Amino acid sequence: MSELLRRILYLMNRRRLDAELENDIEFHREMAARAGRSNFGNILRIREQAQEAWGWTWLDRLGQDLRYGVRILARSPGFTLMAVLILAIGIGVNVSAFSLFDMVALKPLPVRDPDQLLRLERRSPQDYTSEMPYPSLIFYRDHAKSLSAVIGVLGVPPMQINDDVQPASASFVTPNYFTELGTRAAYGRLMDAGRDKDASAVPIVVLSYGMWQRRFNADPSIVGQIVHVNKKPATVAGILPREFASLGGQGPDMWLPIAQQPNFIAGSHVLTDASASSVRMWGRLAPGMTAKMAESELLSLTNELRRHHPKDIWDREYIQSSPGGHLQVMQPEMYRIAAMVAVLTLLILAVACANLGALMLVRAVTREHEIGIRIAIGANRGRIFRQLCTESLLVAMLGAVAGLALGYVVVRIALRALDAPRWLTATPDWRVLLFTVGMSGMAAIFFGLAPALQIARQKQRKTIARQVLVAAQIAASCVLLIVAGLLVRATQHALYTDPGFGYEQLLSIDAGLGRHGYPPAAAKEYLAQMQSRLLSVPGVESVALMKLPPLGHTVSNMDTEVNGRQVEIYPNWIKPGFFKTMRIPLMMGRSFYANEKKAVIVSESLARKEWPGQNPLGQQYANGDEKQTVVGVAGNARVNAISDDDAVELYWPAQDEDMPDMVVMARTAGAPESLPPIAKTISESLDPKLFPEIRQMKMLYHDNVLGVERIAMVVSMIGMVAILMAGVGIVGLVAFTVSQRTKEIAIRIALGAKRAEVLVAVLRQFVWPIALGLVVGTGFAAAASKLLRKALFGVSNLDPAGYAGAIGVLLAIVVISALLPARRALRLDLAKTLHYE
Amino acid sequence: MPMNDRPKDGMPSGALPMLILRVLQSGSLHGYAIGQRIHVLSSEVLAVEEGLLYPTLQKMLLKGWVTAEWGISETNRKVRFYRLTPQGRAHLKAEISGFDRVTQAIQNILRTA
Repeated sequence: MSELLRRILYLMNRRRLDAELENDIEFHREMAARAGRSNFGNILRIREQAQEAWGWTWLDRLGQDLRYGVRILARSPGFTLMAVLILAIGIGVNVSAFSLFDMVALKPLPVRDPDQLLRLERRSPQDYTSEMPYPSLIFYRDHAKSLSAVIGVLGVPPMQINDDVQPASASFVTPNYFTELGTRAAYGRLMDAGRDKDASAVPIVVLSYGMWQRRFNADPSIVGQIVHVNKKPATVAGILPREFASLGGQGPDMWLPIAQQPNFIAGSHVLTDASASSVRMWGRLAPGMTAKMAESELLSLTNELRRHHPKDIWDREYIQSSPGGHLQVMQPEMYRIAAMVAVLTLLILAVACANLGALMLVRAVTREHEIGIRIAIGANRGRIFRQLCTESLLVAMLGAVAGLALGYVVVRIALRALDAPRWLTATPDWRVLLFTVGMSGMAAIFFGLAPALQIARQKQRKTIARQVLVAAQIAASCVLLIVAGLLVRATQHALYTDPGFGYEQLLSIDAGLGRHGYPPAAAKEYLAQMQSRLLSVPGVESVALMKLPPLGHTVSNMDTEVNGRQVEIYPNWIKPGFFKTMRIPLMMGRSFYANEKKAVIVSESLARKEWPGQNPLGQQYANGDEKQTVVGVAGNARVNAISDDDAVELYWPAQDEDMPDMVVMARTAGAPESLPPIAKTISESLDPKLFPEIRQMKMLYHDNVLGVERIAMVVSMIGMVAILMAGVGIVGLVAFTVSQRTKEIAIRIALGAKRAEVLVAVLRQFVWPIALGLVVGTGFAAAASKLLRKALFGVSNLDPAGYAGAIGVLLAIVVISALLPARRALRLDLAKTLHYE
Repeated sequence: MPMNDRPKDGMPSGALPMLILRVLQSGSLHGYAIGQRIHVLSSEVLAVEEGLLYPTLQKMLLKGWVTAEWGISETNRKVRFYRLTPQGRAHLKAEISGFDRVTQAIQNILRTA
């Protein structure tokens, strides 16, 4: 038995052992008395000394400190409440942010062995796509020994159920999807790798719980019945459970076996086309295998695949694996945003701590008497310091509990607002609890350590600590406020700035010709018919074709260097009539002619970047080996990059081979709401197998803006909290400084000093910390806004109005919170003050 | 407020555990008897203060050199008797040989210097 173990045993049997020890010593005293000795020492003292050998004295002291701390805090409920409140906000904000991150990136999915799941994506030094061709997936599935299973998910545009107007989202998945995740059906059965693996099998559909509730009134007898999906019959095989956890956080309304895909989407070659990346791939590691081993095996398989399809595999392509057993597969960009949010929330905690630290220092002065007495009766500085730290820890603990509660509420609201999967709950898991403990410990150190040190050394009247706290507080508030200001400006920008094209009466009609295997000639014919039929509809002003519609599902961009600067170019393929329909002004030159080749139209800003000070018309644009002539310059229009102010556009004339991918854009003279059913009818008469996706730009645009608005609202709220805390902190500090110097102020005024001068004298000590805080804060904010720019639109690096506004507001609050308490000092009753003491 | 409870009379620091182990070698004793035995055997040169004896005994219990068990004293009272453990015996041996070496060395210096 080791000494440590024995020590713990002693702690547990403390009462008995103490009694035994007491008996020993008592006996000793008796014997000594018998022997005629009467100078036996203090029994209690001897006992205590003997007990010290057990090594648990610190625990006793901690207990004493805690009891004392509780008494002290209970005696000043106002301070305690204030401190806990400040801390609860600081910790709560961080706990909420971390909880959300935990849900998205750390919490394992409630599926079978989530840590064995891998998300597998195609990458090469130049290229990346999240999807891969189905034949490749089959090749990997059949040959990879490091994977025990390969799961594929094919996302498709919304499909029509029976004769519903509202289409339903759907995914085609490999039939092992649910068995690999260990999902059990709520009703009926889910997919079966045996029964549902062939196209010839009876077509089935699995319904999500939500769909079953909404569309089928939660009627269990729907199982076994036939519904029509895109007009094709399918048997409802089963209903997914309410708490179903899917891969990658996708929650379509319907799940169909991937082998059935050609039955539902007529003419589709997705399952046989080795060049179309269309399926998202997951894998399950075979027992004993690691992700690294799987990656290296997949690399050699990719190289083998290249021999079969030399065209379709990129140069130096490899399959990248990332942990797949979480709600979201984190991409590097997401980590960057997460880090940014973390910095902002930590800043709030810093403001809270600075505030609380100042509060502690103020309180220390009122406790001078008590602490003086304790030192006088023999407590050493170490013990006082320890006592103060224990109090800080107590406050931190209370703050942590309150912060945890706040985080719980925030997460609950967020889950409801985001329509999150049902298996997610707001109840904190061990990671969140650990994080909370860590955060509150850190906070206790921040707000408690410096004041405790100063108090223990009885230096609490020194101003330097207070000045540092003020500087830190101002700097942190400054960053938060500027960032909040920039975001608010960004929202305004998004709301009130013209995206460069007229989205109000615009409709996109995506028939998905390519997905249905339309060859170019047939596609061209269909599109021509569609356009002319649409034009004959009263109220339709103009129509046009483009490849990548605004707010569409696909965005393409090229990162190119233009004259030594990195430029993000968003290309598009268009047909004549595009600029008129989109209401994008043509600034110079002309639009394309029909069947024009080797021509290009650039946006105004691209022209300026590429050929500064020159006439862009007639210039040669190098696209790979091909030289293309600039025939026109169009106005800037953030068609595919609503989120990027720096984006520039480039248009190529769509060729015949592009036709299967083209989307019809239609502009109406009045409200566009009546057009979708008409377009649907037209499409049905042209080809009943097609179910075009018709989207109103106005709605998409507003949805998009709504998202930004929400983010900006949250950030501004955080900014308000920060500024409120900063204000409260400054009020407290100034009030305290003034109260400390009442006598001095009274004497000065009595001797005839002007009140304003006195005020300046009192407040002068805060000037340099505030100035320093502002400078440091502005610097940090500038760095943060650089990052923000990448994530949100309309945030400009040096938005002078944003900065000036934030600094102005902050200064105003600082001045007000300094003047309010100071003014009180100036209305002192001089006689009374001077008589005091 | 730690007080100094050093024994008055020439108890070399660190020697007490060794002396306790040594007097326990011949059989288990209660705390008072340990103090008495050391006092008597040292021809009343060394006195063991209670304030040092009991903390030391507690430390030795924790180290596992001695164990305590209930017994009846010569005055017919229930009291704990301390007994040497095999571990304590081994430690005593090591202590004694170490002590011998050191005293030998000191005496060498005292004689020759």
